[in-house]
Amino acid sequence: MTGETHKVVVAKDIADLIPQFLGNRRKEIDSLRGALAAADFEQLRQLGHRMRGVGNSYGFARVSLLGERIEQGARSSDHVAIENCISEYRDYLDRVQISYE
Amino acid sequence: MNELAFPAHKMSSGQAVFRVLVVDDDQDMAALLARTLTKEGMSVDTVFDGDAALVHAMSSTPDLILLDVVLPGISGFDLCERLKADDATALIPIILVTTLEDSRSRVRGIEAGADDFLSKPIKLEELVARVKTLRRLHETRRELEARRLTAEVHRKEAIRKAFSRYISPRLAERIISDAGSDGLPFQSRAKRISVVALFADLRGFTRLTETMEVDKVVGMLNEYFAVITEAAYRYDGTIFSIAGDCLLVGFNVPFPQADASQRAWHTAQDMVAGFAPVLAGWTQGGGLPTGVGIGIASGEAIIGNIGSPHHMSYTIIGDAVNTAARLMQMARGGELLVSDVVYDSIRDLVPAGSVASRGKVPLRGKTEATPVYSIELAKR
Repeated sequence: MTGETHKVVVAKDIADLIPQFLGNRRKEIDSLRGALAAADFEQLRQLGHRMRGVGNSYGFARVSLLGERIEQGARSSDHVAIENCISEYRDYLDRVQISYE
Repeated sequence: MNELAFPAHKMSSGQAVFRVLVVDDDQDMAALLARTLTKEGMSVDTVFDGDAALVHAMSSTPDLILLDVVLPGISGFDLCERLKADDATALIPIILVTTLEDSRSRVRGIEAGADDFLSKPIKLEELVARVKTLRRLHETRRELEARRLTAEVHRKEAIRKAFSRYISPRLAERIISDAGSDGLPFQSRAKRISVVALFADLRGFTRLTETMEVDKVVGMLNEYFAVITEAAYRYDGTIFSIAGDCLLVGFNVPFPQADASQRAWHTAQDMVAGFAPVLAGWTQGGGLPTGVGIGIASGEAIIGNIGSPHHMSYTIIGDAVNTAARLMQMARGGELLVSDVVYDSIRDLVPAGSVASRGKVPLRGKTEATPVYSIELAKR
């Protein structure tokens, strides 16, 4: 996973929405961490649910995938699985490369 | 920030902007939906919770709502249910947007009245296709509704015009507004109310016209009725019937008139004054010993539809009407006969020297004699 780049193709019509989208995803990392520290699995489920809905809609399939895993982890109160997902999410956001067409 | 507006990028000339309300607590999702629809020429408002959506939908009535199910405040299901239960918003198409794929959520959405569904992640082509489909349906429904309303207005106007030639415009208006849900007029129930009844008659005219040509008689009657019906309308009297040369006008019916007796008095004055030049013209053309005799009485009467299933009259009946008719039959041309109750209401208006008591007069159909006053309105 480390060193891997993630290429995403986004419609240029929504190019101007992407900076805010990514900014909100980074804020989401903080929210996820805070909820995990508090063992607030309902909050984690809701955050995962939101990621699942919004990620793919913008073309970021990995965000939806991670959201689904966080949602599942929250349902089973799987602290370790969620922590791994959050790390993977942060790594993904650091390395994602976007092109517009 | 609770609300955002995304004006349409473009709008074809002459076409009304299609207004969409996007309701989603995720600002990124809301922005994406709004961007996609504004590109299609639609105007988009965005709100981020159920309560704001309810206020917005009620106040600005959008053409379509894209509604997320999971919302802070009122849930999407509950909001959908409330909007569909309100006449003002029931026809707004609602697309429920959800990541809940299970069939229970769809069933819940259908029960709440949703018109269509979209699943997250959103496929933008599918979003546009579904919105456009509902837009076409909505616009067709709106056009049909507009046509129906126009036809209804034309129908009522035609009825009003037709009625107004035969009965007073106010009465026509009342009958039309009383039309039942099946569109049939005369559905309202009869009721007992206090009325002032005025009968006017062209005294001796029937006998005088027995030897006249028919066209001449009809022409004279039309001149006469033009004057006296105008006088009745001037004081908001309701004309209930015209029979031969006799006219029945009601006051305080079907609309309340606190000064009904005074209106009846002014009407009687104007009838006689307005008829004077007509009578003068007739006199020059050969001379006729006639004039308008009037009777006014007040009391309770029943208003309603009277007749058979084949022929009905919307009219008033009762003691006040009978008394006014009897008084009119006794009145000479240019004379007004009123009951004591009516006279008490108008005595301040009656010029001194023009009134005389006739004492208690026995009237046909009444057990007790009625105190009657005679008021001279004009010389015959």
